[in-house]
Amino acid sequence: HDCLLFHRLLQGLLSILRKLKSTPDQEVRILLLGLDNGGKTTLLKQLASEDISHITPTQGFNIKSVQSQGFKLNVWDIGGQRKIRPYWRNYFENTDVLIYVIDSADRKRFEETGQELAELLDEEKLSGVPVLIFANKQDLLTAAPASEIAEGLNLHTIRDRMWQIQSCSALTGEGIQVSLNPPPNSPTKFLCALILLFSPCFCFS
Amino acid sequence: MLGYIWQYVYSSFLRYWLKWLIRQATGKCELQRICSGYKPGATRTEKTEYSLRSSKNKVLRGALETSKDKLEQCVDQIMKEKNVKHQKDPLFKESLHICLLQITGYSSLYVSVEDLRKEVFSSENAEHEAMLLKLWDLLMPTVKLESRITKQWGDIGFQGDDPKTDFRGMGMLGLINLVFFSENYTKEARQVLSHANHPKLGYSYAIVGINLTEMAYSLLKSGALKPHFYNTVQGTPELRHFHQLYCYLAYEFDKFWVAEEPESIMQFNQYREKFHNIVKTHLQDPDVCLTLTVSSKN
Repeated sequence: HDCLLFHRLLQGLLSILRKLKSTPDQEVRILLLGLDNGGKTTLLKQLASEDISHITPTQGFNIKSVQSQGFKLNVWDIGGQRKIRPYWRNYFENTDVLIYVIDSADRKRFEETGQELAELLDEEKLSGVPVLIFANKQDLLTAAPASEIAEGLNLHTIRDRMWQIQSCSALTGEGIQVSLNPPPNSPTKFLCALILLFSPCFCFS
Repeated sequence: MLGYIWQYVYSSFLRYWLKWLIRQATGKCELQRICSGYKPGATRTEKTEYSLRSSKNKVLRGALETSKDKLEQCVDQIMKEKNVKHQKDPLFKESLHICLLQITGYSSLYVSVEDLRKEVFSSENAEHEAMLLKLWDLLMPTVKLESRITKQWGDIGFQGDDPKTDFRGMGMLGLINLVFFSENYTKEARQVLSHANHPKLGYSYAIVGINLTEMAYSLLKSGALKPHFYNTVQGTPELRHFHQLYCYLAYEFDKFWVAEEPESIMQFNQYREKFHNIVKTHLQDPDVCLTLTVSSKN
């Protein structure tokens, strides 16, 4: 069983690498989506090591590029309010990684967030794109654990892509263990970054 | 490199020798020359601020951190230190006093604004709740709010059913600015709201307002608003002056947005940056006054 898992892991990573080699400038497009007040912009600013104390609701979108060791992570943070969700699809093209952010304390909207995620996973332009789900706001006492959210969203039924759920607090930085500085001279710099980004590891179903 | 050396030599030696020479020639100290040479406003106050900050004298440097009620005393002390006779230059005392009220007032205004920003909107606070409902009544006088948690909040540009999550990093400062604009410039606020609710050119009125509060706050924090307040308030700038500036931004941004006809709301940050640059350019002008030109109710 372990052997099979390892084989599939290798295959998945190799396909990403191949894709990367074909783009000369090694750019990775990461799309951040989720309902409003989920913490997408805070996460984005944490990734870019910026001040997170003056954040306001996102009208439209924010983009940040993080340059690291020969590759460039372009992170797109799209506003989550209902009124602008129809625009999400304009940003699907060429996405390498989808990050879906959930407010783990906003239980009233678990159903709504699940529906939006399910719709995203059905999108043709996002087919096969690895998805990382952040169960955010774990610093709040009322936050649901990641396992409960995974169960509620039926994540185990995802079979067509790599996925991972990770509990985190964008506010404190906990769980986002992103090191954008993989060891120098490593042959697979991008791989390092991606694995670190998707810490602790990918899940394959 | 040469520039740095010159800067160092100038600020550590030359400036003092030069000042001494001019003082001997004119019989007036630098502060007197500034106050008599420039009309009241940004140039005079900024030059005074620079002069005090680079002074070797503790009394002069200390003036920048003096509380409002001790400033008069502080001016007397400065006049004594600098040997300025009231009879010879009767206008100096009042001029310097006003400059100091403006300089120290700017710092204390930032402290008050920061306090409001840090105050988190809370549904348990009756005052906060009352203010939120007031905002609705001011903007939507003919429509009743069906309940506290309702999709109707979207009609004045909040994101979801409960506005409380939209204040975020701006806290009560965001709500107070929104209410201030609607209360003191009701006609203009409703006009801006009607533009915001345009089916094609529209934007979310309330959250764009909160975003513009962030713009006003950052400009204040960086010191960029000094010339504006030094020109418009001959004394200590108060919170209401900050709210007035927000009104200017809210009204002018709307005008700018409507004139630019952006493709969709997704272009917001691009146009916000463009508008931000226009405001910053205005602030480079020493005669800048960012005041809303329509008359307010009070």
